Amino acid sequence: MEMLDALMQIFKSNMLEIPAIQPIVDPLMQIPWLNLLVALLLWRPFFAIVVMPGLLVLMICLLYIIWFERKLTARIQWRVGPLEVFRPLRGAIQALADGLRYFFQESIVHKEAHRPYFVQLPILAFIPVLLPIAFIPAGNVVGIKTPYAIPLIVAFLSLIPITVVAIGWASNSRFAFIGSVREALMYVAYEIPFIIAVISMIYLYGSADPYVAVEKQSIPGALLNPVAFLVFIISMLMATSRLPFEIPEADQEIAFGPFVEYSGMLFGLVMVLAYEKLYIMSLLFTILFLGGWSGPQLAILGDLNAPLWLVIKTLIVISVLVIVRSMYARFRIDQALRIGFSWLLAFAIIALAIGVVLGYEGGI
Amino acid sequence: MDEFVKFINSGVLAPFKRWGTKWSLWPVHLVTACCGAEFAHAFACGYDGERIGALSYGIARQTNLIIVEGAITRKMAKVLRITWEQMPDPKFVIVMGACGLNGGIFWNGYNLVKPSEVVPVDFFIPGCPPTPEALLRGIRQLQKKLETGDAESSADFYDLKLKKGKLPKFLPKSPKKISVNPCIVIDRRREVDWETGKKLLESFKVLKVENMVITAKNRIALRVSADRIREVASELRKMGFDHVKSVNVIDLPAEGKFIVEYHISSYSIREFMPVILNLFAEIPRAKPEVDSLSDIFPSADYMEREMQDLFGVVFRGNPWKGKFLLAPDTPENPLRKDFKLQEEVYVGD
Repeated sequence: MEMLDALMQIFKSNMLEIPAIQPIVDPLMQIPWLNLLVALLLWRPFFAIVVMPGLLVLMICLLYIIWFERKLTARIQWRVGPLEVFRPLRGAIQALADGLRYFFQESIVHKEAHRPYFVQLPILAFIPVLLPIAFIPAGNVVGIKTPYAIPLIVAFLSLIPITVVAIGWASNSRFAFIGSVREALMYVAYEIPFIIAVISMIYLYGSADPYVAVEKQSIPGALLNPVAFLVFIISMLMATSRLPFEIPEADQEIAFGPFVEYSGMLFGLVMVLAYEKLYIMSLLFTILFLGGWSGPQLAILGDLNAPLWLVIKTLIVISVLVIVRSMYARFRIDQALRIGFSWLLAFAIIALAIGVVLGYEGGI
Repeated sequence: MDEFVKFINSGVLAPFKRWGTKWSLWPVHLVTACCGAEFAHAFACGYDGERIGALSYGIARQTNLIIVEGAITRKMAKVLRITWEQMPDPKFVIVMGACGLNGGIFWNGYNLVKPSEVVPVDFFIPGCPPTPEALLRGIRQLQKKLETGDAESSADFYDLKLKKGKLPKFLPKSPKKISVNPCIVIDRRREVDWETGKKLLESFKVLKVENMVITAKNRIALRVSADRIREVASELRKMGFDHVKSVNVIDLPAEGKFIVEYHISSYSIREFMPVILNLFAEIPRAKPEVDSLSDIFPSADYMEREMQDLFGVVFRGNPWKGKFLLAPDTPENPLRKDFKLQEEVYVGD
C-alpha cells in the first residue's frame, strides 16, 4: 500500500493540467484503484511516450499517411482510391483492413533464410525507430528530458539502415541482396549532408537542446537558414525512400528489395518501418525548422497545447512530402548518388557556413 | 499448431480475419494474353478496383489473390503453380477469360492446360475478353464468399432443351477435320512481268536443280533432291543470298512424305533484297532426315531446332538434341497430322 502511495505521489507531482477535462478527472481521482490509472495516464513522461506525440499518435499517423498517400495518388490519376471499406470516412480505415489481413496471414520463413535473424530482425529494427520518441519533447510534456536530445535522435535514426541491411542479408535472396546494397549506398549518400544540416542548426541556436532551439525561433528556422532547410528535406526524402529516391525497395525492378521474402505479420512490421522513420524525422524537422510546439495558446487546453501544435505541424509536413511521392518518377541509383555526393553535400557545407556565421558567440 | 490455425479460422478473432481479408484482396496478375488489357482497365480511372480495396501488386509473397489472365500453356502451368505456392495461406485464384476456362480459341490444343487442373480456382469470369465490370464483379463475388462462406454464381444459366436425333444447328462443327489427301503444289508456274527474275533463272541454270519456276513477282521456287540441298545452298550463298528467313515443314501423310522449305533472301545485294527463294526438298515420312544448313546460314539454326521439336524431322549436322521451345513433358511431334489430340465432345453429340 505504501508503495502505491509513493507511486501516486510520483504521478501526482508531474501531472498534466488540462482545464477542459478537469471536471472529469477530479471525480475519477476519488475512486481508489482507478485514480492510479488516471494519474499514470496523465503523468507527463507516460503521456509523452505512449499517447502524444508518442505511440498512439504514431499509430493514427500511420493509418493517416497510408490512406492519404493512396487517396492522393488516386486523385492525381483521376481515380477514387480506397472507398467502399468504410464510406462515411471515405475509406480512411483501409490501412487497418490491410494491417488485419497481414496480421492473420501465414508468415513464411523460406528454406534459404538465416532463420533466427530473419524472424528477429523486423522486431529488432523497431528499437532504433521507437527509442527517439522518448527524447522528443513537446513543451512540458517530455519522456526523458536531456539537453542532448537532438544528437541522440540523429544517432538513433542513423542506426535504422543497419537493421535494413541486416534484414536483406538474413533474407538470403538475390533481390534482397541488391536492395541491401542499394540501401547501404544511399545511406552513405544522404547521411553526411543530413548530419551536417542538423549540426548547422545546432551551431545556429548555440545548443543541442530542443527547448533552446524552439525558444530562439521567433523567426522560424526555415527562414534563418533556408539552405539547411532544403538539404534536410531532400535527405529526408532519401532516408525514408520516398518516391524520387525510392531506390532500395523499387518494387517494379527488385520487388521491394530487402523485404522481398517477408510475408504476413513480418512484412507488416517491416513495411511500416519507413513510415515510422518518416514520422520521427518530421518531428525533428518541425522542432528544428518550423518553431516546434510554439503557436497560439488556448487557455482551456492548458498543457495539451504544445503536443497538439507539434503533431499538427508534423502532419502538415508529412502530407507535403506525400504529394512529392505521387508526382515524381524515380531516379536511377547513380543519379541519386551523384546528387548526394555533389551538390547536396555542397549545399550542406554552405548551410554549415551560414549556421556558424549567424550563430557566432553563443547562438542567435 | 493445428489448434492455433483452427482458433484463427473459427475462434473469437475469425470475424476480424474475415473482414480484413475481404477488404484487402491484392491481386497478382499473371498475364499470358490479352485479358491483361482489361485487367489494366479495371484498375485504371473509370472503374478503379482500388475502390473496393483491391490493390494491384506485382509480388506473390505479400499478396493473397492470383488473377489468371488468358491461356495457360504447359510452361506457364509451372509458373502458375510456383506463384500459387509462394503465397501465404489465405489465398484465392480467379480465372478470367474463355482461354483459362476451357481453352477458348486454343481449345483442344496439344500445349494447353486448364488452370483448374493446376491450382484450386475460386471463380471463373467468362468472356473473350471479359469486361472490367465483369472482373470487378468477380472480385465482389469473392468478397461475398469470404463473408458468407459459400460461393454463388452471379449469372443465370438456361436449360437447353436438346432434341434427339439431328444435331441442333447452332453447334459448331468439329475443328478436328483433317483433309485426307491435301493437294500442295509449291512450284506452280505463273506468268509475271519481272525482268530480274528471268535473268536470275538464267544464272541459276548452273545449279542443275530438278525444277525452277517463278511463282509470283519476286518469288522463285527451286525443287532439289534431299541429298543435294547443301550443295545448292552453298552455291546460292556464293551468289549473294546470305540469310534464311524461315524454315518450314509440310506434313503430307497420304503421300508418305515431308516437304522441307527454306526461304532464302539477301541483305547484302540491293537488287536481291526483295527476292525470296523457296528452296525445298521432299523427304520420306518413314525416315525424316535432311542435311542441316545451319553452318551455311546461321539464321536457320533456331528454326531448324523448332521444326525438330514440332515435326520430329532430324536435321543432320545441327548439334541440338531434345526439346527446344516446348516444355519437356509435351507429347512428341505435336504438329504432325496424325497426332492424337485429346478427345472432347460437344453437348449435342
